[in-house]
Amino acid sequence: MQIQDFFRYTFNGIRAQRLRSFLTALGIAVGIGAVVLLTSLGEGLHHFVLGEFTQFGTNLIAINPGKITTHGVSGALLSNVRPLTLEDSASLKQLPQILDVVSVVQGNGAIEAGTHQRRATIYGVDASAARVWKFGVAAGRFLPDDPPRSARSFVVLGSKVRKELFGNNQALGERIRIGGELFRVIGSMKSKGQMLGFDLDDAVYIPAAKAMALFNRESLMEIDLLHSAGSSSSAVAEKVKKALQARHGKEDFTITTQEKMLEILGGVLNTLTIAVGALGGISLLVGGVGILTIMSITVNERTGEIGLLRAMGVERNQILVLFLGEAVILAAIGGLAGLVIGVCGSWLFSLIVPALPAHISWVYVASAELLAAFVGLLAGVLPARRAAGLHPVEALRAE
Amino acid sequence: MMGNEKVAHPEYPMQIRDILSFSLHAATANRGRTLLMLLAMAIAVSSVVVLISLGDSARHYVIDQFATLGTNLLIVLPGRSETTGGPPPLLGETPRDLTLDDAMALTRIRTVRRVSSIIAGSALVSVGHLERELLVLGSTSELYEIRHLALNQGSFLPQGEPTRAEAVCVIGQKGKKELFGNEPAIGQWLRIGDRRFRVIGVLSPGVSLGEDLGEVVIIPVAAAQALFNRSSLFRVLVESTNSERMEQTRQAILDTIRVRHEGEDDITVITQDAVLTTFDRIFKALTLSVAGIAAISLVVAGIMIMNVMLVAVSNRRAEIGLLKALGASRTQILGLFLTESTILSSIGAGIGLILALLGMRLAAFLFPEFPLHLAPWSSTIALGVALITGIIFGVLPARRAADLEPAFALARR
Amino acid sequence: MINLQHIERVFQVGDEEVHALRDVSMTATGGEYIAIMGPSGSGKSSLLNILGLLDRPDSGSYELDGTRVSELDEKEQARIRRHKIGFVFQFFHLVPRLTAFVNIALPLMLSGMKQAERQERVTTALAAFGLANRAQHRPDQLSGGQRQRVAIARATIMQPTVILADEPTGNLDRNAGIEVVEILEELNRQEITLIIVTHDPELGKRARRQILMVDGRIEDDR
Repeated sequence: MQIQDFFRYTFNGIRAQRLRSFLTALGIAVGIGAVVLLTSLGEGLHHFVLGEFTQFGTNLIAINPGKITTHGVSGALLSNVRPLTLEDSASLKQLPQILDVVSVVQGNGAIEAGTHQRRATIYGVDASAARVWKFGVAAGRFLPDDPPRSARSFVVLGSKVRKELFGNNQALGERIRIGGELFRVIGSMKSKGQMLGFDLDDAVYIPAAKAMALFNRESLMEIDLLHSAGSSSSAVAEKVKKALQARHGKEDFTITTQEKMLEILGGVLNTLTIAVGALGGISLLVGGVGILTIMSITVNERTGEIGLLRAMGVERNQILVLFLGEAVILAAIGGLAGLVIGVCGSWLFSLIVPALPAHISWVYVASAELLAAFVGLLAGVLPARRAAGLHPVEALRAE
Repeated sequence: MMGNEKVAHPEYPMQIRDILSFSLHAATANRGRTLLMLLAMAIAVSSVVVLISLGDSARHYVIDQFATLGTNLLIVLPGRSETTGGPPPLLGETPRDLTLDDAMALTRIRTVRRVSSIIAGSALVSVGHLERELLVLGSTSELYEIRHLALNQGSFLPQGEPTRAEAVCVIGQKGKKELFGNEPAIGQWLRIGDRRFRVIGVLSPGVSLGEDLGEVVIIPVAAAQALFNRSSLFRVLVESTNSERMEQTRQAILDTIRVRHEGEDDITVITQDAVLTTFDRIFKALTLSVAGIAAISLVVAGIMIMNVMLVAVSNRRAEIGLLKALGASRTQILGLFLTESTILSSIGAGIGLILALLGMRLAAFLFPEFPLHLAPWSSTIALGVALITGIIFGVLPARRAADLEPAFALARR
Repeated sequence: MINLQHIERVFQVGDEEVHALRDVSMTATGGEYIAIMGPSGSGKSSLLNILGLLDRPDSGSYELDGTRVSELDEKEQARIRRHKIGFVFQFFHLVPRLTAFVNIALPLMLSGMKQAERQERVTTALAAFGLANRAQHRPDQLSGGQRQRVAIARATIMQPTVILADEPTGNLDRNAGIEVVEILEELNRQEITLIIVTHDPELGKRARRQILMVDGRIEDDR
């Protein structure tokens, strides 16, 4: 049988029962559409979250006090007997491949400018923070590179704090009160937006030593390192670990490389995408049962036709292929329609929620499409075999 | 004869029982096809029910974890975020400390039953040459009641002035095992940082507010202040006398602290209720969205029922014509076919429900530590949805049947 | 009791208009025995469909027992069919998945009669048509004659005033055919109007009145 004749014949069978074929394909289409849309949303989320994290750059290593053992946050973040100090921070800066070091103390307090007051996050950092965290300065400059222990009382405002306290007035050079102490505004930041729920614009940046004094604490909460792009994160992390261990005498800190974190995060998000896609796959399964049902009905109704074909000398295998072909084509048409539904759906979603753009992953799309054809094949086998197994005489009698 | 009006047959609507039995017969006449349809419906319904149940189980699990702490708990944190609705400052420092004196002032509020202060940190805990880094909680004797702790051996921190830094500690089960092995720990001394403490109690293993109680050491709050060299508290836990007076208590706490902090509102007060509500909301949303995704398969199953019913209508034209000749009205035919599709979807839903029940049993058997249950309303939802699916997707085929011209339907054989 | 006036019926078949009935007028009184005859395509089945309210005429009026039934809505027509008209078809038209008993009970079921009441009526009917021991048989377990008797039992269970039979013997062997015709004639003797459509002259001759149809018109009526 010529290939185009094969297609003409099967398409004819599909067209003869237009509504029925449409509904069968629609079942598959809804299933595929769900899979494509859901995996696109999953991928979109993946990209979104990774984007949020990598906005600080990818060659970051974070050091926190305390050894994290089994569960979540270490209590050492709050208080501990073996602190990370500014001196630790300074010593790490001497290591090869380390480009920059930021000492971090974080807190919350009232910020007063004249009669205005606002409660915001206070970051105690170094001059290097702007480089390491990839902050853009909107006006003035970031904190100067003072010696850590004798930093001057300067403050850089986050865009939101600047707006709340000064409105359209000039902020540079003004004096503001943070936790009762006076700071001079030397710069304000460009808007950085939210980072996983934390508003980085509703914050002020002061020297780490000043923050420690303000909060009356001796130790840092975190040290962030920026290493050179060419070096491997794990190798650098290993060196940092050795250096700090030598200083502290033991491993009482935790090192997290951005790379590792992204890896774990990526793994979690991939699992999520697959899980959500699998949930959508349930619909595909139901659609497959739909094809099975309709194909058995079709074989039943076309028993006479099958008998005629056999009488005209069509072989069993050819009958099998004809009916299998019909099932697969039905599924594939449904799959294509589903693809269109899914892609349009993700596009619509992107329009409605621009913050979380759906991202169509063609790998998932291709596998969904293959899956649809496979479902069709699988669902077609039983009815097609029954068609092929019909005895020509019996089949003709059914007419 | 000719007697025009025969009174032999007063007019009634068809008996419900007759509609059901006729439709059931029709629905099950073609066994293979019917089984496949039921299978499709069952897959869809069971996946919806199982997912709802899993979500609901998870919700209950988490809520129960929190609810054991009592609903009249308030948590006072230093610092306050301006933006309402944003996360409270869980970590980090504030210029003005929340002090032990602040906490003691709270005990004077009328609607407050107990107050317990907490300082948290980590430190190396050692016995002889054995050393472990553990979570150190500085607190008071009230913590025992407020957080519903349980002791394995010994006693909890002694009552008395919180400012007294007695050198005693209560240790978690896991920490005890690692430091003392199987030896009795009560009465023994251990070292936290550079200070010595006598063990007076061992906690029962368990998890409270997400923290593994096995790996903590609890010492008097004043001792912790000295150990970590800080006066600021990490949290103050307040138990109100009455869970209906929560808002009033919250306001009283804010007022008290404001007076003490020179008129500044620099604390955050979280009620247990708010935390619970948030968790409840999150889990409900999660459950609903997962179930919603699974419900797409219900639509597919519905499409399938519609398709098969359409086939049934075209195969049974002669029968429909006959029914019309026998005096069945359009409405009656419509009702019969709608009933048929609804019966199909309902039986499918029933099977799905049973499958879901078996699935949950299996899961409960495989994961005994996680309390699983079939969400009570999931069966109602499943059956309701099945009925709706049967009706919605049955309408088109039923209308086709009802609109058949009887003469035409009978003629074609 | 039956009064047809100027009935017209046109079908659209493909591009062509087929005039199935042209200006057909006839009357019949209660208890008559009429055979409608004619070659195939002459419109006799169309006439029967109009008489049975299975089809609506394009124009003309139809009065049954003093009611203008051609003007009634769908629901009312269904009611008239249920109570006044019994159908007997060439191919029996029994519902294959239902037993003889349930097939006969169908009209009672559609009219909402309670099961207990039905039981008695159907059992009586089964006995009257010699089917007492066939009650629980499905159509495929019955002979042609038995099937047609089930169909007649079903047609008469509501005590109609008219029985419309479309080639009632067309699918039966000679003996069974005679048996069925005799049953119908017996019903006619009980004052039920009997209208049989047939192209079998032998069957037609048995009727007291014959209507011959040709090309959608009543050619002869005697």
